[in-house]
Amino acid sequence: MTRKELDTQRLFQEARHESLQWVTRRHFLKDSITGLGAMALGSFLAGCDWLGSRQTGSNILFDSAHPLAPKLPMFPGKAKSIIYLHMAGAPSQLELFDYKPALMKLDGQDCPPSLLEGKKFAFIRGVPKMLGPQAKFAQYGESRTWLSENLPHFSTVVDEVSFLKAVQTDQFNHAPAQLLMHTGVARLGRPSMGAWVTYGLGTENSNLPGFVVLTSGGKFPDAGKSVWGSGFLPSVYQGVQCRSEGDPVLYIKDPKGMDRDLRKASIDAINEVNKLSYEEFKDPEILSRISQYEMAFRMQTSVPDVMNINDEPEYIHEMYGTQANKACFANNVLLARKLVEKGVRFVQLFDWGWDSHGSDANLAIDIGFINKCRSVDKAMTALILDLKQRGLLEDTLVIWGGEFGRTPMQENREGKPNPFKGRDHHTEAFTIWMAGGGIKKGFSYGETDEIGYTAISGKVTPYDIQATVLNQLGFDHEKFTYQFQGRPFRLTDVHGRVINEILA
Amino acid sequence: MKFLLNKKIILATIVLLVLIVVGLSLTTRRKIDYITDVKPIINKNCITCHGGVKRKSGFSLLFRSDALAKNESGKPAIIPGDPDHSEMIRRLTLKDPEERMPYKHPPLSEEEIGILRDWIKQGAKWGDHWAYVPVKPTPLPEFHKGFLGLFGEEKPEWIKNEIDYFVYDKLQQEKLEPTHQADKATLLRRVSLDLTGIPAPENLASSFLHDTSETAYEKLVDGLLNTPAYGERWTAMWLDLARYADTKGYERDDSRSIWRYRDWLITAFNKDMPYDQFLTDQLAGDLLPDPTNDDYIATAFHRNTMTNDEGGTDNEEFRTAAVIDRVNTTWEALMGTTFACVQCHSHPYDPFRHDEYYKFMAFFNNMRDEDTFGDYPLLREYKKPDSSRLAKLQLWLNTNTSPQRKREIMTFVKTWQPAINSLLADEFTNSELLDTKWLVLRNHALCRLKNVDLEGRNQLIFRYISWVNGGNWTIHLDKPDGTVLKTSSPINSKGSWKNATIEIPETHGAHDLWFTYENSNLKSPLDNGIQFGVFYFTKDFPGKGNPGYDSAFKYFNELIASDNIVVTPIAMDNPPDMFRKTNVFERGNWLVKGEEVKPDVPHYLNAFPQNAPKNRLGLAEWMTSKENPLTSRTIVNRIWEQIFGTGIAETLEDLGTQGIAPTHQELLDWLSWKLMNDYKWSLKKLIREIVMSATYRQDSKASEDVLKKDPFNKFYARGPRTRLSAEQIRDQALSVSGILSNKMYGPSVFPYQPGGIWLSPWNGATWERSSGEDQYRRGIYTYWKRTAPYPSMMSFDGASREVCTARRIRTNTPLQALVTLNDSVYVEAARFFAFRMEKEGGTDIKNQISKGYELALLKQISPQKLTVLDNLYKAALKKFAADKNSTCEMIGVDNEHNNPQTAALVVVANAMLNLDEFVTKN
Repeated sequence: MTRKELDTQRLFQEARHESLQWVTRRHFLKDSITGLGAMALGSFLAGCDWLGSRQTGSNILFDSAHPLAPKLPMFPGKAKSIIYLHMAGAPSQLELFDYKPALMKLDGQDCPPSLLEGKKFAFIRGVPKMLGPQAKFAQYGESRTWLSENLPHFSTVVDEVSFLKAVQTDQFNHAPAQLLMHTGVARLGRPSMGAWVTYGLGTENSNLPGFVVLTSGGKFPDAGKSVWGSGFLPSVYQGVQCRSEGDPVLYIKDPKGMDRDLRKASIDAINEVNKLSYEEFKDPEILSRISQYEMAFRMQTSVPDVMNINDEPEYIHEMYGTQANKACFANNVLLARKLVEKGVRFVQLFDWGWDSHGSDANLAIDIGFINKCRSVDKAMTALILDLKQRGLLEDTLVIWGGEFGRTPMQENREGKPNPFKGRDHHTEAFTIWMAGGGIKKGFSYGETDEIGYTAISGKVTPYDIQATVLNQLGFDHEKFTYQFQGRPFRLTDVHGRVINEILA
Repeated sequence: MKFLLNKKIILATIVLLVLIVVGLSLTTRRKIDYITDVKPIINKNCITCHGGVKRKSGFSLLFRSDALAKNESGKPAIIPGDPDHSEMIRRLTLKDPEERMPYKHPPLSEEEIGILRDWIKQGAKWGDHWAYVPVKPTPLPEFHKGFLGLFGEEKPEWIKNEIDYFVYDKLQQEKLEPTHQADKATLLRRVSLDLTGIPAPENLASSFLHDTSETAYEKLVDGLLNTPAYGERWTAMWLDLARYADTKGYERDDSRSIWRYRDWLITAFNKDMPYDQFLTDQLAGDLLPDPTNDDYIATAFHRNTMTNDEGGTDNEEFRTAAVIDRVNTTWEALMGTTFACVQCHSHPYDPFRHDEYYKFMAFFNNMRDEDTFGDYPLLREYKKPDSSRLAKLQLWLNTNTSPQRKREIMTFVKTWQPAINSLLADEFTNSELLDTKWLVLRNHALCRLKNVDLEGRNQLIFRYISWVNGGNWTIHLDKPDGTVLKTSSPINSKGSWKNATIEIPETHGAHDLWFTYENSNLKSPLDNGIQFGVFYFTKDFPGKGNPGYDSAFKYFNELIASDNIVVTPIAMDNPPDMFRKTNVFERGNWLVKGEEVKPDVPHYLNAFPQNAPKNRLGLAEWMTSKENPLTSRTIVNRIWEQIFGTGIAETLEDLGTQGIAPTHQELLDWLSWKLMNDYKWSLKKLIREIVMSATYRQDSKASEDVLKKDPFNKFYARGPRTRLSAEQIRDQALSVSGILSNKMYGPSVFPYQPGGIWLSPWNGATWERSSGEDQYRRGIYTYWKRTAPYPSMMSFDGASREVCTARRIRTNTPLQALVTLNDSVYVEAARFFAFRMEKEGGTDIKNQISKGYELALLKQISPQKLTVLDNLYKAALKKFAADKNSTCEMIGVDNEHNNPQTAALVVVANAMLNLDEFVTKN
C-alpha cells in the first residue's frame, strides 16, 4: 500500500474504532460514575487532553481492546517515520567525523595527567599514550564538511545531514549506555523509544508491526532485547524483531504440511466457532480476537513480502550493496526503507561489532574498524539517496550513531598496551548524525576541544536526542507520559531539550 | 415563538436548578470528608505545585502541619475555622489571572470552592486514606426489609457466603442482579485453572461430574487445593513479583543458580505456609535463630536483583541499584505502594517523606552482596558424601567448641561468609582488578585492602588462582612499608581456583592492609602472578589436641573446597566490622550523599514493634503486624485479581491516593481482617472462601443489559471471564494433549525455542533443547533469560523480570495468534492431541472431534461448532489424501500415524487449541 492508501485505511479504522468505543474504559467510566466519587474519577474524562493525562495519571492512550489502533500525535509532526541506525559497540568519532589534526601531533606521547585526574574509564588504567587519528580527512559538499576517508560514499550526501558533534553521556559501559540512549535510563525496565512511539501513535499499517527491529553483525546489542523492550508499557508495544534467517517474524510461517488454503480454512473455522462463542457470551474480547486472527493471517503474507528484498531492481541492490541471503547491515537498511514505505512507524537497526578496543585485529581501529565502515558506508548513503528520490526523506527521520564515543588515548587494558591500536569507551564527546524529517541540511552543531576529548559547545545528551525525535513526531516530551508506580513516567525522565538548532 | 418560549423556560429552569444546588451547597454545611471530598480536588488541581515535589511559595498541601504553617509570605494560607481570612480561598476566587489559582489553569468550580470553604470552616481536618488505616472488622451489609419492614431481613437465596453479602449489596446499588451458577463442566474447568493452572486430574474431575450431592463442589475445591499443581500455579504468580530469572541481567546476562528459591515457593504454597511466615522467611530467613537451608533459600527473594558483570562497571553503583530495587519491590509487591518516587523527593501525593525512603533502605543496605561476579553470598548445599561430612563436623563441634564459635564455623562452611571480596582493594601499583572483578598482583605489586578488623584473628583463609611457581606475597600493616604481618608463597594453582590457609600473628584492632608481591619467575612486568577471590580472617580451627580433631579439620577443609554443591544466592547481613552507613541520596543521586540515617519505617504508618530489632527481621515483624494497613490488603487484592482478572482495587501496585479506588472497599477490608485473624494468614483458606462464593460460581455469559451497565464486570453480575496467562496457555495445551510432564522441581529446563533468540555478546551461552519429559514441563520451569526471555510467553504478556512486575496487563494481538497457530510447541501439542482424539474418540470422526472438544473444554460440543470443525476436517482430508508429502510433514515423522485422516485431525486439533473459549477461562 502507498502512504495515501494508508491514510484512507486509517480513516476507516478510526471510524471503526469510534464505533467500538462504547466498550472502552473511558466510556465505562462515563456511564457508571455517579455522585461525589465522580470527582475523583472525573480526571479520567479528560479524554484526549494530554495535559490532563499528565496530571491525573490515567493512561488514556491505552485501550486494551485496540492497543494498536492509529492515534494522532499532540501536534502535527514533521516526521512520520524513524529509521534509527545504531552502531552497537560505539564507533570512533575520531576516525569518522570529528577531525582533530592537533591530536596527530600528540600521537605516542603519554596522556597528560590533567586528562586523567578524577576520570574513570572502562579499561584504561595508569597512564595511556595518546593516539592520533588513524584516518585521513578531507572536506566535502557545499557545507565543506570534514569527513574521513573511511566513508567515501557518505561523503556525497553530507549536504543532507546535520551532525551533532558534542554528544555526551554518563555511561561508559555498553549495556547501560545503550539503555540510556534508547530508554532514557541506564538500567533495565523502561520502555524503548520505539515502544513509546508505538504507544503514542499506534500502527498505521495493521498488516505489519508498528515497531520493527533488525540486527546485523552476528550479535544482539549488549543490552539485549531490553533496548527494544516495552518496559512498563503493555508488552504489545515492544519492538518486533524481523529476521533474515529463520522465520522473518517469529512463528509467522505455517507449520510444515499446512498450505495457505488450509491455513485460511482453519482460521475461518476458528473464527466461526468464536463467533458462536460471542453469541453465547457477548464478550467484546471475542470480537477483538476474531479480528486479531484475521490480521495474523494477513501478516503471514505481508511480512514475508516486505521482508523479501529480491523483488527490488538490480540497481537498488547495487546502490545499497546488498548481499544475497545474508543477515547483513546493507540488507537491513534496504528493508528499513521498504518498511517505512509500507507505513511502519519506527525501524530500529542494530549493527554489532564497533567496539574498537584494539584487543584483537577485528577490534583494531586501523583494521577491523575500517572493515566495519566499509560494511555500512554504501548502504547508509543509499538510504538517504533512495528515500530522497522517493520523496520519503522529508518525513522520515534517519539517525545514525553509537552509545558513546572513543578516547583520544590508546587503550591500555589493566595497565598494559593492547596488542592492536584501539580506543577505550568515552563518554565526554561523540558524534551522531540525523537527516530528513525536518532536520537542517548540511549542518553541524557542537564542538569538541582540539584533541576531541571533551565537548566544549553545543553539548547534547541522549535525552535531547530523544526529545528531538519525539518532537519531530509531534510529541512534547515533557507531556507525553505513562502512569506507572504512582507517577507519570517520561521517555526523557526529568531531562531533555529539543535541539532546536538543528531543526529546519 | 413557541420555540423561543420553550428555550426560555428551559433556561429559567436550569438557572433555578443551579441556584438551588449552589444554595444548598452553601447553606447545608454538610460534613466534609477530607479523603473523599477534599483530597481529589487537591490532587487534581493543587498538588503538582504545592505537594511533595514542588512547594511553590513555600506552601504544600501534603501534610496538615505543612499546610497550616507560615509560607513565604509569612502568613499561613489556611486558617482552620476561618475560610474568609484564609489566603487559599482568596486566591482561588480572584479574577486577576496572574494571581488566581490554579495558576495558568481553569478556575475551580463554585462547587469545588464551596467544598474547600466548608472544609476550612469545619477546621481543615486532614483525613486518612483508607489504605493507610489499619484494617478493622467490617460489618456485613444489611438487606432492605421486606414489605413495609414487616417480614424482617431477607437473605437472598443467591448468597452462599459472606463475600456475596458485599457483592449483592453493591449490585443492588447499581441496579443489577446476580446471575445463576455456571454449569458443572464450566465450573470444573474454571476452578481447576484458577487453583492449579491446569485442567483437573481425571479422578477429581470425574468424581465431581458424577457427584450429585450438595458438597460435590466443595470436595472438588478441597481436592484441587491439595494437588501439588496448586503450589506451581501460585508460584507462577509470585515469580513476577520476585523478578525471578535464571540469569543475572545486564550485558553479560550470565546464568545464575537460583532455582532452589522457585522450588521453595512451590513447597511453601503447597504446605500452605502462613503468609506472615512466608514473608518473614523471604525477607529475613537468614536472621532467624539458627537458620536452616530452607530459611536461607527463602531469602533469595531479594537476591533476584540483577548483577552487572560487564567489565569496567562500578560495583558500588550496581550494588546500590540492587538495594534500591529491594526497597521498591518490597513496597510495590508486598505493600501495594509506589515508593519509587520517594527516592528523589517526598511523595507527591502520599504521606511519605524523602528521608523515609533512605531510612527504609537502611534495612537492606547492609546485605553482604556487592555486585560480585560470584553473586556472593551463596548458600552451599552439599551432596553425598559431603553432606555426611557436614553432619559429622557439626556433631564434633557440638562438644569441642562454644556454641558461638560453632555457629561461625558452620556459617562459613555453608556460605563462605563473612569473607572480604578482593574487588574492594584499591591503590594499585603493578596490580589491578582483572575485568574489574578480582584482584591480581604482578611482579613488584602494591595495593591496599582498607580497614580490616584483625582483633582476635590468627588465621587467614583465602581463595586464589596462580599461574607461576614461587613468589612472595607480603601483608604489611597500615602503610606500604609498614610492619610485616605475614609473608607467604602460595603454591602454583596452575590457573584454577584453590583455597589456602595461613597462620597470622594475633593483632589488635582494625588496620589497612598493604599487599606487596615479588616473583622473579614472572618474565614480563605485565604478567599476572596471583589472583584473589575472597579473604576470610578468622580464628584457628578449635579443639586442637581433642580426639577427632584431625578428621573434623579435614572435613572442614574438604567441605569449603568442595564444588559438588548446589549454590543459591542468599541474603546475609554484614558483621559489625563491615557495617555500611546509609545516607540520604540528594534528589535520588547515589553519588550525592546527604545526612546519615538509621533503619526505620515511615511514621505515617503503624509504629515499629517495640523490642523488635531494627533489621530485616524486625521489618518483617512490622510488615506482618495486624496493625500494618497494607500487607494484608495487598495480598487479598492480588489473589482476587488472579481469580477475577481485576483486583478489587484495580491498581495492585498502588493502593495510595493516586491508585484506582476499590470497587468493594468493605469487602477488601473484610477479607483482609479475616485473613489475619480467622484464617491465621492461610492463603488456602482465603482462596477457598473466594471460590466457594456465589459471586465466583456465576455463569459468565452476559446479557445485553448487564454488558451495557457493567462492561468490565466490576460489580460481578456475572462470573469471571479472562484470557489465561502465558504459562497457563502453554500448560493447558500440553495437558489436554496428554504430554504435560508432572515432574516437579529442579534446575530450569529448555523446551523447544526457535533458533537465533540467544545472541548475547561476550556470553557464548546457547539454548540446548532439553530431552525427554523435560521438554514438556510446566511453564514455571522454563529457563528465564532476562535479556532474551522465552519468546512465546512474552507474546502473551509474560514479564521479562528485570524488575518487579506487580500486574501483567493483558493484551490481544495478532502475534499471539501466530504463537498458538504456528509455534512448534503448539504444533507438536496438536499432533499428540489428535492422536489422543483418535485413541479415545472411537472410530467415527465426529465422535473423535467431540471427544477432543470434551477433553479441551470438559463439556459437550454444540452441533453448530461440530459442523464447523467437521467441515475443516473434510477440507484438510481432501488435501492430505492427494498429498503424501504434506501428510508426512503434518505428522512430523513417518510412523503409524502417517495417514491423511490423522493429518487432517491434527489441523482440527490445532484449530481447537486456538479457540477463544480454550485460551479463555469461562
